[in-house]
Amino acid sequence: MSGHDSKYFSTTKKGEIPELKEELNSQYKDKRKDAVKKVIAAMTVGKDVSSLFTDVVNCMQTENLELKKLVYLYLINYAKSQPDLAILAVNTFVKDSQDPNPLIRALAVRTMGCIRVDKITEYLCDPLQRCLKDDDPYVRKTAAICVAKLYDINAELVEDRGFLDALKDLISDNNPMVVANAVAALAEIQESSSRPIFEITSHTLSKLLTALNECTEWGQVFILDALSKYKAADAREAENIVERVTPRLQHANCAVVLSAVKMILQQMELITSTDVVRNLCKKMAPPLVTLLSAEPEIQYVALRNINLIVQKRPTILAHEIKVFFCKYNDPIYVKMEKLEIMIKLASDRNIDQVLLEFKEYATEVDVDFVRKAVRAIGRCAIKLERAAERCISVLLELIKIKVNYVVQEAIIVIKDIFRRYPNTYESIIATLCESLDTLDEPEAKASMIWIIGEYAERIDNADELLESFLESFPEEPPQVQLQLLTATVKLFLKKPTEGPQQMIQVVLNNATVETDNPDLRDRAYIYWRLLSTDPEAAKDVVLAEKPVISDDSNQLDPSLLDELLSNIATLSSVYHKPPEAFVTRVKTTQKTEEEDYPEAGEQSYSDSPARVADSGASPPASSANPQHPASRQPAAPAALPDLLDLGMDNSSSAIVSVDQPASPAGPPLPVVLPASSGQGLQISAQLIRRDGQVFYSMMFENNSQVPLDGFMIQFNKNTFGLAAGGQLQVPQLLPGTSASTLLPMVLFQNISPGPANTLLQVAIKNNQQPVWYFNDKIYFHVLFTEDGRMERSTFLETWKSLPDSNEVSRDFPASVINSVETTLDRLAASNMFFIAKRKHANQEVLYLSAKIPRGIPFLIELTAVIGTPGVKCAIKTPSPEMAPLFFEAVETLLKS
Amino acid sequence: MGLVFSRLFSSLFGNKEARILVLGLDNAGKTTILYRLQMGEVVSTIPTIGFNVETVQYNNIKFQVWDLGGQTSIRPYWRCYFPNTQAIIYVVDSSDTDRLVVAKEEFHAILEEEELKGAVVLIYANKQDLPGALDDAAVTEALELHKIKSRQWAIFKTSAIKGEGLFEGLDWLSNTLKSGGG
Repeated sequence: MSGHDSKYFSTTKKGEIPELKEELNSQYKDKRKDAVKKVIAAMTVGKDVSSLFTDVVNCMQTENLELKKLVYLYLINYAKSQPDLAILAVNTFVKDSQDPNPLIRALAVRTMGCIRVDKITEYLCDPLQRCLKDDDPYVRKTAAICVAKLYDINAELVEDRGFLDALKDLISDNNPMVVANAVAALAEIQESSSRPIFEITSHTLSKLLTALNECTEWGQVFILDALSKYKAADAREAENIVERVTPRLQHANCAVVLSAVKMILQQMELITSTDVVRNLCKKMAPPLVTLLSAEPEIQYVALRNINLIVQKRPTILAHEIKVFFCKYNDPIYVKMEKLEIMIKLASDRNIDQVLLEFKEYATEVDVDFVRKAVRAIGRCAIKLERAAERCISVLLELIKIKVNYVVQEAIIVIKDIFRRYPNTYESIIATLCESLDTLDEPEAKASMIWIIGEYAERIDNADELLESFLESFPEEPPQVQLQLLTATVKLFLKKPTEGPQQMIQVVLNNATVETDNPDLRDRAYIYWRLLSTDPEAAKDVVLAEKPVISDDSNQLDPSLLDELLSNIATLSSVYHKPPEAFVTRVKTTQKTEEEDYPEAGEQSYSDSPARVADSGASPPASSANPQHPASRQPAAPAALPDLLDLGMDNSSSAIVSVDQPASPAGPPLPVVLPASSGQGLQISAQLIRRDGQVFYSMMFENNSQVPLDGFMIQFNKNTFGLAAGGQLQVPQLLPGTSASTLLPMVLFQNISPGPANTLLQVAIKNNQQPVWYFNDKIYFHVLFTEDGRMERSTFLETWKSLPDSNEVSRDFPASVINSVETTLDRLAASNMFFIAKRKHANQEVLYLSAKIPRGIPFLIELTAVIGTPGVKCAIKTPSPEMAPLFFEAVETLLKS
Repeated sequence: MGLVFSRLFSSLFGNKEARILVLGLDNAGKTTILYRLQMGEVVSTIPTIGFNVETVQYNNIKFQVWDLGGQTSIRPYWRCYFPNTQAIIYVVDSSDTDRLVVAKEEFHAILEEEELKGAVVLIYANKQDLPGALDDAAVTEALELHKIKSRQWAIFKTSAIKGEGLFEGLDWLSNTLKSGGG
């Protein structure tokens, strides 16, 4: 290489990124703005401009709203790829959230919510808190949505910072738009939580109903959806709600209309007065009909929803069947849905009209539509006994047209009609037989053969007809073969003459020897054996009377129907599938162990998975991709609800316990020996009480490079003499694996002298590593025994018998009792038993008892104002030296 | 002739913004100084997670002043702002004697930076209003300013709250920059 070639390595051209970088750092504002525009343009076409992060962020502090928006857009896109540098933007966000211009304040808080970077999230809280209380409604409404976003990123943070309460306060906001957004945010949060977060009370109800009349159409949708989940106290309340909502039925936006219909249908369940119900049904018809004059896509969505509505309340549209008549230019998917609804609405009163329509449809060109029309006639015949004859005559007329697929479809439905009305319409068999040779579809053939077999005694030449089919027996599809087999057996049983006898030999031979189809072979063998052992029994079996069928095709199970009705105006009601069938979502479940919410499951799913009544939704072809993208992790099986908090923190402990169902379920154990100090061995542990015994619940994770085995454990002397009650059962741990174990504990082994404390010193060794020592804490309440319940009288006596010097009390200023029942349940779960309660001024006074081993009782008096922080706890016990530990335990329990 | 030249120079400079970084440990008073310089009043501040940038016009020079957060977590990103910097204002909390060592280390680390080779350095010994604040001589000693070689620097006693010393420092800075020191 000669010296000249070095020039190829040094070029004067700098490339796009360095050029942009230079422009972004220009001292001229216009140039910087242009540069940011170029960056955004590059970003939108997919070029990676993340390396310009700081340079773009440096343009963020500007008075120019346009430039600011562009930088925000950039940040939303690239903050994730530059999580460390994203922190540089925080100060600007904080500043902007205090900008005099409400647009900028809202923009800042909205953008921060879109930046899913943990480090940023903490700093979002203060601005968000301010913006939730902003003077400007636009800022408040943006902040409300931001809370929902934040909940998705970090649910715990939202709860700790009290944002949920702030959101609930916004429901009482004087601006309807803020109310609507608060409702939307709460509904969204409720979807991802299994705890009841958003419950409408009678107070919020009136706020919502007021806001409903004033907010935008989409706000109305959110409020209506929320209201449809409200369980009214009685029929009167339900009537009142419905009355306030009915004007929404006239709204121009079909989403509002459908949500209003949903809401009214839900509340109608409670209304007992038939007059009111009839009136409501009358009111709901016109808006539903109006939906059908919209674009075909909306019509489709409306029709799918109407399909559900008429199954529940056919009266609503009973007189409107004409609007469901197909127009020649309706798209096929609309026509098909209309047919479904026409069948559902067909009645003795309108059947003539309907039949005329169906007959018309049966002569159209679209084969699928024609077939469906023919089938519809059959289904009407089955549904309406009095109209059956008219239906059949229409079918016969259609057969006479001799259009192949019409004939075949007609034969299929006539078979069903014969099943529905046995021995009524056999006179038409002759007509059917005329078209015998045109049949080429398996289902039609099978139907015809079934008819011949079933009525063999009435068809003179039944054997001839069957024989003509038998020639091609081996080539027929299984469906036809099975029918042929059965029909031949029927023929033989009905006319045991020579012809049929020969036929049956051929068929049985064919069906047993020559076929590979096990179904056919098995059925043939059964017939063969029946016929050869007891022909009379064979008659009883084969010619037994058949149960009468009814038209239940396309009929939904009532419970499913109710679920779908509660999801009207969502994808669920369009698919006719419950939301969980096509959306999976992670629920954040916290503290479920002690708190039991029986309704949580159904509530959380009853929410709309996706809204489709918007004109954008394209019907059947629309991809089944629901609103929530695949990035959502699949939900863990419902059987393990406690483990679901793995969606929240990615501590591997929770994930591992999925593989080990035997391990203690519950929140992740606290880490007592971090991997950093245990040469890669991480130990998490906690004392727990289960089935009346104390266990040391432990989890070992081997993050080192070598397998670890031979684990042993020892406990130092402690106040309660806690010691291992058995061997530590930990298998060999290969690198990267973990194991959980429950070590039973015994009490009063090596009691340490001195004042009572909760220190638990533990030593763990294994064959590969040095001995590890760590300190854990004894949770006093795990010692509370199950026999701590006391009779009222015993309580009083004990209280009196103990000297006053044994009474100790303490205040917990931060604790709060929100609900007496919940608190008592929680305390009872930890063996603190409720004895009595009384009211003292505005305070609730609760009396409880607990007992620790060796029968030491604790008599407890809790005083608190419900919902206000500050709980006073007074106890009396023979062992007042334990009081500090006891208070600590109570405080923990009240908090959890 | 010299007069004509300096006029030309100053008018040239008047158009151009001088890029200045305000650095220092957290809680040194950087943001307060920035807004004192820009608006002439004391604003209440919270720790700067990120940066503030304002334009300050003084002595016919436009300063583009970048106030960067001083938290340990943000200090690594100071370097993103080093290119094209004419001057550094290093703010020291003169009353925080415990952390003067840290301040010194950070300061000398900055001086080592190749990209800041040509930048002049102005040190504000801030918070002189607090009791127990070291004076400029003591801060000079603590920061080992005598070690600075081949660079123009100056130290001023300031109190951002009272507004003392800030503009004296800026005077020095603008004169130094005008005379081409930067």
